[in-house]
This record gives sequence, C-alpha cells and structure tokens, in this order.
Amino acid sequence: MAIEEVFSSKGRVKILRILAEIGELNISAIARRAGLNYATTNQHLSVLENHGLIRHKRFGRIRIFRFDEENPRARMIKKLIEFWEQTNKPESNHE
Amino acid sequence: MPQYFSVFKDESKLDINYVPPRLPHRGSQLNLLDQFFRFAIESPGKMTQRVLILGKIGTGKTVLSQHFGLNAMKEAEKRNINLNYVHVNCRECKGSLFMILQRTILKFYPHFPRRGYSAEELLQALMQILDEENAYLILALDELEALILSEGSDPLYNLTRIQEDRLKAPQRLSLICILRQPEHLEKVDPSTRSTLQRNVIHLKEYSKPQLEDILNDRVNPAFRQGTVSTQTMNLVAELAYSEGGNARYAIELLWRAGKYADASEMREVSPECVRKAAVSVYPVVRKDMISFLSPHEKLFLLGVARHFKQTDAAYMSMGEAEDAYAIVCEEYGEERRGHTQLWKYVKELSASGVIETKVSGEGQRGKTTLISLPRVPASDLEQELSRVLMKGGR
Repeated sequence: MAIEEVFSSKGRVKILRILAEIGELNISAIARRAGLNYATTNQHLSVLENHGLIRHKRFGRIRIFRFDEENPRARMIKKLIEFWEQTNKPESNHE
Repeated sequence: MPQYFSVFKDESKLDINYVPPRLPHRGSQLNLLDQFFRFAIESPGKMTQRVLILGKIGTGKTVLSQHFGLNAMKEAEKRNINLNYVHVNCRECKGSLFMILQRTILKFYPHFPRRGYSAEELLQALMQILDEENAYLILALDELEALILSEGSDPLYNLTRIQEDRLKAPQRLSLICILRQPEHLEKVDPSTRSTLQRNVIHLKEYSKPQLEDILNDRVNPAFRQGTVSTQTMNLVAELAYSEGGNARYAIELLWRAGKYADASEMREVSPECVRKAAVSVYPVVRKDMISFLSPHEKLFLLGVARHFKQTDAAYMSMGEAEDAYAIVCEEYGEERRGHTQLWKYVKELSASGVIETKVSGEGQRGKTTLISLPRVPASDLEQELSRVLMKGGR
C-alpha cells in the first residue's frame, strides 16, 4: 500500500487528527468534527481500517473508532500528528 | 491592593460533594457495607450484590456510599482488580434510566455517543464494556425515588435481572440503592423489592453530640484556626439537631455563617452569624436542590413564590400557578411551557418536598390541584430563585 493513498485525502488526514486528539469516537461525532457527511466519513474510515491504521468496537448499532495501537504504522502516524499539533500551537493561537 | 481577610481556609471542604477522609459515627455501617461487598475484592465475578441504604435527609447516606466506593476501588487496585464505583443521582438524571446509564458509560468511554439508542441497548453496551475491560461495577443509585416515580419498577427490574441472563458469564454489576422514603419501594414489583430488601442499612438521624463531632471534623480543614468557637459550633449542632439530625443542613449552615462573617468583615464566625444564616437556610431550599431544577421549573416555582408572597391564602390552584408562571416567563423573556409540562413540574416539585399538593374537594367547582408552600417563607424562596436566575443559573 502506498503512503500517498492514505495522506492524499484531506478528509482522511482530518479524521486521523481527530482520532489522535480525542482517542475514541463514533462515526457521527467524527463526521461532525471533520465537517464531512456521514457517507464520506464512513468511506474514509473503511479505507483507514483496511490499511490497518484504525479499528472499531461495536456496541449494538454503535461503532466506535480509534487508532489501532497494535499496528506500528498507526502508532507512528499518531505520534507524528501529536508532535505536529504540539509544535503548531503558538501559530494556532492567532487563528 | 487591599488585603481581604476570610475566615475560610478551604471552602471546598464544606461542599456538598466533598467526601471527608473519616466518617464519624458511621463506622459500623461502613463495616457492614464492606462485609456485603467483601466478595468483590476476594472473589470478583462470582456473585453480585444489591444493598439498600435508607435514611432521612442529612443522615449521611450519600457520603457513606461514596466513602465506601472510594475505599473499595483503592483496595481493588492493590489487588489488580478493575473495580469501579460510579455514583449517580437519579434526580439529577430526571429519573431517567437512559441518563443514568449514559452517565455510567461516559465514565468508561467519555466520547460515547449521547443519543440514538434505547436504555436497553445502553444496558447491553454497559455489560459489553465491563466484559471487554474485565471490569466490575458497583453502581450507586442515589435518590432512587426519582427513578421509581418517573419510570416505575422496570428499570430496577432490568438492572437486577441483567445478571441472571448471564449465568455462565462473570457477574459484574452490583447495586447500591439509596433511598429517603422507603414507602416508594411499594411501587416496585414484589420480586425486585425482595431482592433489594435482603441487605438493608438503615441510618438514624444524628444526635447533637454526633453533629458536633462531624462539624469538628470539617471546621479544621475548612476554616482558619481560631475563627470558629466551640460555642458557635454548639449552636450550629443544636439547630441542625432540631431539624431532624440533619448533618447536611449543619454543614451548609456553618458555611453560610462563615459567609456572613466574611461579608461583615469579622475575624470570627460569631453565634450571631449563625443566627443570621439560620434564617436564610431552609432545610428544604438547599442550594443543590435549586440547582437540580430545570430553568422552567425555577421559573414556575418563582411564580408560585410570588403568588404566595402577595396573598394570605394557604393554597393556590393549578390555574393560578400557570398564570403566575406566564407572568414570570414574560419577565425573563422565555417562551412558556404547556400545561402538561407544568403538571409534570408540579409532580416533581411535590416529590422533592418543596411544594405540597392536594386535589380540591367539596366547596370548589370542578376539580383542580391545589398547591401549597408549607415549609419555606415565600419571600425567601423568591429571593433565592431570583438570585440564581439572575446569575444565569438557568
């Protein structure tokens, strides 16, 4: 799997950033935070899950997504995002 | 900048949610709770427990349960057992099982979606979470009356029976039910009632010396040294004892007296401060009670208080209450709620003891609910509500 497949989509990066920040979240909440619609969010989540970066837990009808901490790639991406956000803070204060 | 002197060292020690490290005069009950839940630490998963804590207002029901819960969690942690104690106030949850379970699940999954499923689905989800995390839960349902009044006996039935469908699975959910008025249990179906009444802890009202001990324990961490004399403390204990051995009242009275002392820039909480505070704290209009009310319940109660302030009548009809409420809504720029909603408010306020209701009898045309305000002076209630509403506590 090519890395650009994952990072070529703004929506997917947004979703990864949200999951890195919040930890665990259901689809509607991810969609709301990312400003995407449900179907698009669902598709992105499927792609990310197929690539082993995230995983979900099911509670009846509810699915809750999070980073797949067992996958080293997922761990590294999460760390990258966290580092990015940390070093980004002074700038984002001006927003 | 001028230096302001305050008699308080740490006000939070007088807060209603503060759990003190020591519970004077509740040692035997605490031991009993420990005994009931001993299995949870010694052989987790083998069984579950249901305990009922009964007692009047201010007898230490909540703090007893919370104190036990905190200790139990610590003890379990030492043994690597994932035991959780979750304390939920049913009245704060508007007597809804859905909200109770939601609050419980949020302790495990802070971002669990807040809507889109039923209470039954939530209960299943909770059990699944406990299974997956190999966790055990002691769920304390405080002010259980609210849940029984609004949803009957089904929620309790479901909570007590969920384990029975899981015979081979580990037993994970135990309950502590905290109740002020045991007569509400009569509304619960007999089988659920009998499972609940197996282990009952009954808390008696505190005596005056006991109240003094409790106050003593709080004065040291909450007030600066030498600001509260023994005389002041005795007076507070005396007043609280006459209010039915109500420790919560005693603590709130002490806090208010401290506030009066601060307001008058005194360096000591004098008995006069206590007397002033006693006039302003009515056991029924507790701060936390008013804060539990929804914005429109507050507005409705304000209408009722204003009506009684203006008349000498002991009762007002539902119609008059609705009119008074409509005026208050206009004043606060709020859209008024319909009759059915107001009717619910009346039932809830009556259950919490702020107002009393009776159905009109002979001598009045038609049938209406008559509302009275037996325990609180209308002017004080009005003042308190106006203050809270003004502060934006809607």
